[in-house]
Amino acid sequence: MNRLPIHQDLYLIAHGQSGKPLVHPSSLALGLAGATLLELALGGLVTVSRGLAATSRGPSTGDAVCDDFVSLLARGRADVRSLIKKGSDGICERTRESLVGAGVLVRVSGRRMGMLPYTRYEPADISSIVRASSGARSAVEGWKQPDARCAALCGLVAVLRLEAELYLDQPAGRLVGRLREIAAAGSPPVGDLVAVVDALVGEAAVAVYR
Amino acid sequence: MRTQENIERFGYRQELRRGVGLTDLVFYGLVFMVPIAPFAIFGLVYSRSGGMPVMAYLVGMIALLFTAASYAQMVKAFPLSGSVYNYAGRGIAPPVGFLTGWMILLDYILVPCLLYLVAAIAMNASVPQVPVWAWLIVFVGVNTVINLRGIRMTVKLTRVMIAFEVIVLALFLAVGLWALLQGKGHGFSLSPLFNPETFSWPVVFSAVSVAVLSFLGFDGISMLVEESTGGSEQVGRAMRLALVLAGVLFVTQVWVAALLVPDPGGLLVKDTGTAFYDAAAVAGGDWLRHLTTTATALSWGIANTLVAQVAVSRLLYAMARDRQLPSLLAKVSVRHSVPANAIMLISLLSVGVGIWMSTRADGVDLLTSLINMGAMVAFVVLHVSVIVHYSLRHDSDRWWSHLIAPLIGMGILVFVVINANILAQVVGLVWLGVGVVVLIVLYALGRRPTVQATSGNITT
Repeated sequence: MNRLPIHQDLYLIAHGQSGKPLVHPSSLALGLAGATLLELALGGLVTVSRGLAATSRGPSTGDAVCDDFVSLLARGRADVRSLIKKGSDGICERTRESLVGAGVLVRVSGRRMGMLPYTRYEPADISSIVRASSGARSAVEGWKQPDARCAALCGLVAVLRLEAELYLDQPAGRLVGRLREIAAAGSPPVGDLVAVVDALVGEAAVAVYR
Repeated sequence: MRTQENIERFGYRQELRRGVGLTDLVFYGLVFMVPIAPFAIFGLVYSRSGGMPVMAYLVGMIALLFTAASYAQMVKAFPLSGSVYNYAGRGIAPPVGFLTGWMILLDYILVPCLLYLVAAIAMNASVPQVPVWAWLIVFVGVNTVINLRGIRMTVKLTRVMIAFEVIVLALFLAVGLWALLQGKGHGFSLSPLFNPETFSWPVVFSAVSVAVLSFLGFDGISMLVEESTGGSEQVGRAMRLALVLAGVLFVTQVWVAALLVPDPGGLLVKDTGTAFYDAAAVAGGDWLRHLTTTATALSWGIANTLVAQVAVSRLLYAMARDRQLPSLLAKVSVRHSVPANAIMLISLLSVGVGIWMSTRADGVDLLTSLINMGAMVAFVVLHVSVIVHYSLRHDSDRWWSHLIAPLIGMGILVFVVINANILAQVVGLVWLGVGVVVLIVLYALGRRPTVQATSGNITT
């Protein structure tokens, strides 16, 4: 089975089996935006250097979320921080739609206590969540040498404090430290972009208005 | 666009969504200042000013209009979401920025304590069966839960709170003026503005050192410079407008209240802590007393604490991330997108200091003086930053804006500091001394304060 893009893997890890988000929407959106930029950078579609991102391609990557990002870069180079912030607008919904379109998530509607209507997006198959986090798990346990993509996911899992979703029997602090080490040891854009997402998540937490 | 170019001069790109207009900037400043702020400290200002609270508020407004002018100059020079910590660091030198941040920290970390204490005293005035300390714990508990859950003031909620406070104020003024016309109180008089029998400048400045508390928060508008639709120019205008609006509201309400005080002689000798509510009861009876106490409790204990908590969290976060405070304070809860450690620290401090102050007869006075001391010293440094940055470094020929106005503003504030509560002066000096020691330790550890690119985007 083909690997999902990093932002889709991160989306699956960041949601419980019932489809409920495990982190705050603003933090998650920044993480997903960072993941999308990393996906593009590691795929060679976007170059990231000295805090600036640029692309020479048109918006046709095959993934709607990535295409939106590339179109944000259509007018030339953009500051990575502002690009991630701009790209985070509505990214959770768009990633979810992509996953629904791919059949990874299914829409479930119902009524709480027979009265209050709700809509959830649950994994069609629990194995998709397991697959999404398997790379990070293997990297932490040392079963497999992490590639750049896996290093990026590890870094974002650490930033969003989703380490518990890896179900590894390690203290949280040590596990987060190990995930950050893996990200830092990744290719240059990985460490830099993960650090930018980390800073933006912190800044979002102390924003005057959300 | 000029602001965009200015931001890029410092190596940044515009990031925050520009969507906050002049009205919302003014409203943000007002909700931070609380349009009915004098309800809580009226008695204190009345007794300190020798029965001239109007004079105290007018002088306070003029002093802070000069401060707002200096803020506007620094926001123009460094159009980044920053505070006096940021401006002093960039305008003078990073170590000065650290010490200024340290002084304003005294203001920021104690503000929530005072807000909770005042809200608790107001509720105790309405429901005396529940002691002040119990109300205080309730307010801290409710706010801590709200803050830890990541619930924030929104632009819409800010407008609602302002509308609520203005309606309560309008009711008080209408009923108060009607009562005066009916012969209640002492009739119309200029004595709340000027009373030759009690007037002296030390008395006035001593009262100003308390009254300025009501104006603190106008500087919070500078946090929104990157979101302002009109950039730094609009922020400066919003600060001036918010100050003048608040000043007019404060002067009007304390004038009416001063004419309705049931026992002026007794209040001159000792503040009861409920002077405004007593005056409201004279005007309209118990329903107006309950309305004013409840409005005070809600606006100080909920609305203002929500914005104050964000402000203090931003300062703690920024200084911790710049490695000038323990890194623990730079950690955030991603689950709720809140600076959880900073919130818990402030909550614990608020309970401890708040309960302690609730046992002291001069608790509100002392907290107010300490908060104002931190703010006034920081504002003095802000004026110095304008002079150093523009007149000394850039040889500006705009004498009024870049030299004379900051000097006048600084002079007034120095007088206010000199005439403030003695204990507050001592604690303020001790706090500054501790700051100097911390600075020396930072240098010894090789963590000397620097102006970092990221700090400009975040500090309060």
